[in-house]
Amino acid sequence: MSTDSTGSDDGPVTEEITITVNGTDVTAAVEPRLKLSDFLRYECDQHGVRVGCEHGVCGACTVQQDGRTVKSCLSYAVQADGAEIETVEGLAAEDGSLHPIQEAFHETHALQCGFCTSGFVMAAKELLEENPDPSREEIETGLADNICRCTGYQNIYEAVERAAERMEE
Amino acid sequence: MSRSQPTETDADVTAETERESFTGQGLPRVEDHRILTGRAEYIHDITPENCLHMALVRSMHAHADVVEIDTSEAEAHPECELVLTGEDLRAEYNPMPTGIETVTTDDGTEGTIEEWSLAADTVRFVGEPVAAVIATNRYVAEDIADLVDVTYDPKDAVADGLAAREDEVVVHESVGTNVVDHERLEFGDPEAAFEEADHVVEGEFSWGRISGVPLETAGVVAQYDDDTDSFDIDCNIQLHTLVDDTIYETLGYDADDVRVNVPADVGGSYGTKIAIHRYCCLAAMASKALDRPVKFEEDRIENLQGGDMHCSDREYRMRLAVDDDGTMCGLDVWFVDDFGAFPRYPINQVLKPLSVLTNSYVIEDAVYEYDLVLTNKTSQTAYRGFGVDPHIYALEMIVDQAARELGMDPTEFRRQNLIEPDQQPYTLPSKNLYDSGDYPATLDRIEEIIEDERDGGLLDPEVVAAKREEGKYRGVQPSVIIEPGVSGSDWTDRQRSDREALADRPRDDVDELPEHLRAQLREDGTVRAYLATDSSGQGHQTLVSQLLADELELLPSDIEVDYLDSVDAPTEYGSAASRMAVMLSGATVGVAEALIEALEAVAADHWEVSTDEVAYRDGQVERADGSDTLSLTELAAIDAEGEKRRTHVSYNYDHPATDFEEFDDAFSQKLPVYPTAAFGANAPIVEVDVNTGEVDILKFYTVRDCGTMLNPMIVEGQAHGGIAQGVGAALLEEFGYEENGQPQAITLFDYLLPSIENVPEIEMEHTVTPSPFTVTGAKGVGEGGMIDAPASIATSINAALEPLEVDAPADQIPVSPAHLRSKLREERQ
Ligand code: FES
Ligand code: FES
Repeated sequence: MSTDSTGSDDGPVTEEITITVNGTDVTAAVEPRLKLSDFLRYECDQHGVRVGCEHGVCGACTVQQDGRTVKSCLSYAVQADGAEIETVEGLAAEDGSLHPIQEAFHETHALQCGFCTSGFVMAAKELLEENPDPSREEIETGLADNICRCTGYQNIYEAVERAAERMEE
Repeated sequence: MSRSQPTETDADVTAETERESFTGQGLPRVEDHRILTGRAEYIHDITPENCLHMALVRSMHAHADVVEIDTSEAEAHPECELVLTGEDLRAEYNPMPTGIETVTTDDGTEGTIEEWSLAADTVRFVGEPVAAVIATNRYVAEDIADLVDVTYDPKDAVADGLAAREDEVVVHESVGTNVVDHERLEFGDPEAAFEEADHVVEGEFSWGRISGVPLETAGVVAQYDDDTDSFDIDCNIQLHTLVDDTIYETLGYDADDVRVNVPADVGGSYGTKIAIHRYCCLAAMASKALDRPVKFEEDRIENLQGGDMHCSDREYRMRLAVDDDGTMCGLDVWFVDDFGAFPRYPINQVLKPLSVLTNSYVIEDAVYEYDLVLTNKTSQTAYRGFGVDPHIYALEMIVDQAARELGMDPTEFRRQNLIEPDQQPYTLPSKNLYDSGDYPATLDRIEEIIEDERDGGLLDPEVVAAKREEGKYRGVQPSVIIEPGVSGSDWTDRQRSDREALADRPRDDVDELPEHLRAQLREDGTVRAYLATDSSGQGHQTLVSQLLADELELLPSDIEVDYLDSVDAPTEYGSAASRMAVMLSGATVGVAEALIEALEAVAADHWEVSTDEVAYRDGQVERADGSDTLSLTELAAIDAEGEKRRTHVSYNYDHPATDFEEFDDAFSQKLPVYPTAAFGANAPIVEVDVNTGEVDILKFYTVRDCGTMLNPMIVEGQAHGGIAQGVGAALLEEFGYEENGQPQAITLFDYLLPSIENVPEIEMEHTVTPSPFTVTGAKGVGEGGMIDAPASIATSINAALEPLEVDAPADQIPVSPAHLRSKLREERQ
């Protein structure tokens, strides 16, 4: 990263890190205080990572780090050094066809403004990887860390259920 | 034109749906693909090259004099590009327009209220910006903001609307009072009604400060162009073609020199983002000073504490006059609305409730009186429902209380007073008209639904009794609630009008803002439409492509929909007031007719025949004698040869009330005109734990009618979302303040948004009573759930606790556990 310190000697301290983002290695020198969410959004151009609160409540910034969901606004890029990160951009197939979860969100109208959507899709992904046939209660628990202000959640339940069926096939 | 993202061809719409009507189908949205793949471009994603970043220094005092602002240390920081203070603005720019600029007090003295983008002498709420810092990135800008040293001299603050009326602490010395507007409107003969009625029922109810709290915070990227001395401002402001005056007037430029553009994707607004002009102005000023693009991204704490985004905050005193036989005879509404530190643009949300003054009931005599007061709190803005939600809540509360005092069943009491279908269109005492609907049938239907729950379901008497043993009280109380749709714009400056003159104002003086839509035939034979309004998740692009496809007998995938910026679009009312289903559908029908006419004219000229001898059908123009056809691609090519593109057309759809004499009184007196009345009955089954005061909504039943459903999937989505926000309002959300004006909810840990765990299962039924006033029969749906859910949840809480004989347990929104516990405790003592 270029935290362009305008040549001054006491410019920001940076640390070199390498993170695998959606299968591509990204190496950058970053300030230790750079949030992982900002690293992904601005250094890696993964704009699908959204920030809604930057304090860990809304879940818009949810990504998968080494296969587990994390709220990327709650950790620093340096903490993810060496990790594999998957964001919503990594879900669709090479030919552009949508992942079953994305497809199900579309079909059931589980998104309106869409600002929360990447976070929900990533949270649903972890949920379905761990539990391919979740009950409503299990979906509730699995998605309780994400807020959607638009849809009222009913269609999100349906999306996850439909995605579960598709992924079973 | 806009550089926002047009819709893309959507694979969902396959040939099998060909030639069927797309309108009325739950077509999946064309907006979704880009969002789901992370490619949508929200304002936070726009960072032009060479862009600088702004951070704001905000007051930590609710009320203080600013003694000194020392910027030297900040300016000495190597990465500091600029520090702006209130003084700098005063030299070059204007104050921001406010809702009330001049206040005339009872003794006739006049004082003015000025709000600047940065405060200079006095700060009036916690979070009010006093300086702006511009630096190379957001992290550094925030570092430098910390170096700005502001010396304050704190003063007493007032943070309670009722107390503020005493004027012991005055928020604006220049006007000498906190009560900056007051009005008493009388309809019919309320005095006689109250005198003659058998009973007068009185109650006090309060509605706490809540807001939309969109997941996406405000954002702006402003760029000054030195060559043309003009600005390009990308931002997620709502109603960008209507409220752009707040930006260009502050900057002191002409409308044409300030191009405001909203991206195709906005992460929620619900009314609240109409007030983010402060940020737009500051970023523009900084950009002009530095001749570089400047970006501002509001953070969540700024948004919650000082983002100019809070909504209604009201104390009601309601009176209902009733006869022994249960007839409602008179209504008296009095309230104080705490506007915070400045009376902002959407001041009219105190008036909108007049459009549904008596909700679904026949009450001919009414008083509507309010005091609008200022306090040392963040200024109010609009929020979904625009002030109707607190009104309906307070009204349903007093209706509940009246039934109890009369010893009547509250549902029977309501039914007895409902407007009957043969009274439609129904003129309210406040002069607005309801268009159509069978309210008693809707109440009957919801009653049937909950009857089923009484027989072995959630409300089975045995289950209810057993639960009570555990301290859990279940109940439900339905009512029929109206959602006024499609604002007429002329009433919105009532407060700024000479009220005496309104009594006999000529109808011709009224202006109505139509909805503008453009359509253009493109070279490849597809059609591109341009919306003049912005959108924040309501699916406008889908709606227009689906309707236009029907009108032009094409497929939705043949239509692309894009947006116009504030300079290209005429001044528009746009996306507010549940307007879009009605206004966009009306505009779509009109623009399609204009396009067909143009296509026929081009073809007729080409063949050198009269237009009577040609006809548009199925995506081509045919000669009546069957000898020839011209496809859209061919027509586009022919048209391109002419001097003027005839196949580029636009249409303005007039406000549906325009041609109805019945609305004349409301229009000329500047009373709110809302020509559609969507309606519905809710029955949320609630369970109150009397030990903890917690309320659990076990299931939310609702029967709704919004006239023609253009896209049922979107209609239901709007209702789900509105109800979820209503659940938050009713039980969780509140911007509390300490007495000294310190905000208590500045993170999402304190301002509680409903999660998937709080929103119950919603079971929704629809009936369809098309509006006789609109082209497509559609009524608005954008605000419904937020308007009706809090009232229904509150009446259901009252019903659940009925056996404990607590006096109006849900007399305060939110009905928090602490409030309910204290109400229950009072009763037990
Ligand atoms: S942005 Fe990370 S949880 Fe809200
Ligand atoms: S779709 Fe808008 S916040 Fe979820």
